[in-house]
Amino acid sequence: MSLPAPTVHPLGEGAWTVALGEHVDPAIHERVLALAAQVARAELPFVQEIVPAYAALSVFFDPLRADAEAIREQLTALAAEPLPTPGPAELPTARLVTVPVRYDGPDLEEVAARTGLTRAEVVRRHTSREYRVYLLGFAPGFAYLGELDPALVLPRRREPRTRVAAGSVAIAGAQTAVYPLATPGGWHLLGSTATRMFDPQRDPPALLQPGDRVRFEAIE
Amino acid sequence: MLLDLANCLAGAPSGAAAIEWALGSGAIRSDIPVRIAVVGPAALWLDDQPVTRCTLACTVPAGVTLSIVPGAHHRFSYLAIAGGIAVPEILGSRSTYLPGALGGQHGRCLRAGDRLEAGSDVRPHPEIEITPTGRSEAAEDDVTIRVTRGPQWARFDRHAREAFFAARFTVAPASDRMGYRLNGPLIRSMETATLPSEAACVGAVQIPDGGEPIVLMPDGPTVGGYAKLAVVLQADLRRLAQCGPGRGIRFQEVSLEAARACYSLFR
Repeated sequence: MSLPAPTVHPLGEGAWTVALGEHVDPAIHERVLALAAQVARAELPFVQEIVPAYAALSVFFDPLRADAEAIREQLTALAAEPLPTPGPAELPTARLVTVPVRYDGPDLEEVAARTGLTRAEVVRRHTSREYRVYLLGFAPGFAYLGELDPALVLPRRREPRTRVAAGSVAIAGAQTAVYPLATPGGWHLLGSTATRMFDPQRDPPALLQPGDRVRFEAIE
Repeated sequence: MLLDLANCLAGAPSGAAAIEWALGSGAIRSDIPVRIAVVGPAALWLDDQPVTRCTLACTVPAGVTLSIVPGAHHRFSYLAIAGGIAVPEILGSRSTYLPGALGGQHGRCLRAGDRLEAGSDVRPHPEIEITPTGRSEAAEDDVTIRVTRGPQWARFDRHAREAFFAARFTVAPASDRMGYRLNGPLIRSMETATLPSEAACVGAVQIPDGGEPIVLMPDGPTVGGYAKLAVVLQADLRRLAQCGPGRGIRFQEVSLEAARACYSLFR
């Protein structure tokens, strides 16, 4: 499949964003991760952070010392190169992480009712696939996972909760995630896990990294 | 910058924890004599004696109450103490991250009755005389904030861009360290404003489908799915941060080259 030509845009005086597409698509995401690995290998001077997302890669640098235009040219050149078609196995952090979940969330009944499935069927569908970590963001350690079983796709709650407990396992749209910290949130809560998604004492503090694969496992 | 100045004047190391004093007033008292510095647009009292200077650095005797009343049109002042405030360093920082309940005093705002411990790393403080310059911005003036074009600039047509730069916005009451919401004319993008989430940055001006801009601030999300029409210059962020609810804001476009030149000046 052919992908749109990459474009490079400024994100303030200290970052460039390379847009590689406009949709959530595993092929575009592979390209984002491969480009992130290429940029990391290039060791561009004074680059501070490389942030892969669904369809864009952002590169943050020190605006005082880095040559911003040189970085832009290098990103444009790297993004234009054809990919060496890396599979997830070649990506640096592609691991399989299993997250045990107690499926007793406050929205499980409502999700079952709105999808026309039984509670057991909602759980079966949520646990029967392997998810990809598309990106980290929103809050520390929050990993956006996809793709959800199409039968479970629901819009976000009309009224977001002001507080969702840490460890809540949730779905929204074609995505699923674990809330790492108690934060406000508008996703549907299916259950909870004792797995710590974010631990300031750990290195790296976030359990999941982009490109990792995740499975949920139902426990009593 | 105000925080660094407050720590320096108080005799605390750079990076020490201090109190960020936002919109509410309050009072603080020490059991022992302690050198403090307060920097920012707040009115101060030592017991019932008003302090006339906008920056205070002195040794407060034991038992004397320091009262702080923030200026009506500003937001943040910084209160530092000699040696800094003893809180653990987490992920290279002593600051409080409220959304994650991390850092500072148990990851939360200070409450009446809290007791804070001074750090032991007391530094020599400069012996300087502080005199007001009288050049501060008039409280009622609109603030002009410089921006560069954001990554989704092309999603907005000429009409929307012109409306954005011609507008006078006001800082909405629902603004905090995560983001400043702006009231004013609605800015519409040509297509739906949501895109697959991607990296954001402090100062990014997000335009949700509703059309009310939100400027991301230091505790804001690291990624976002709204179109970013513009990005505030790092050099202008603290001026925006000081804008209290209702303050008038105008945006002015500058080139990336000009933005980088400002950055080196402000550092």
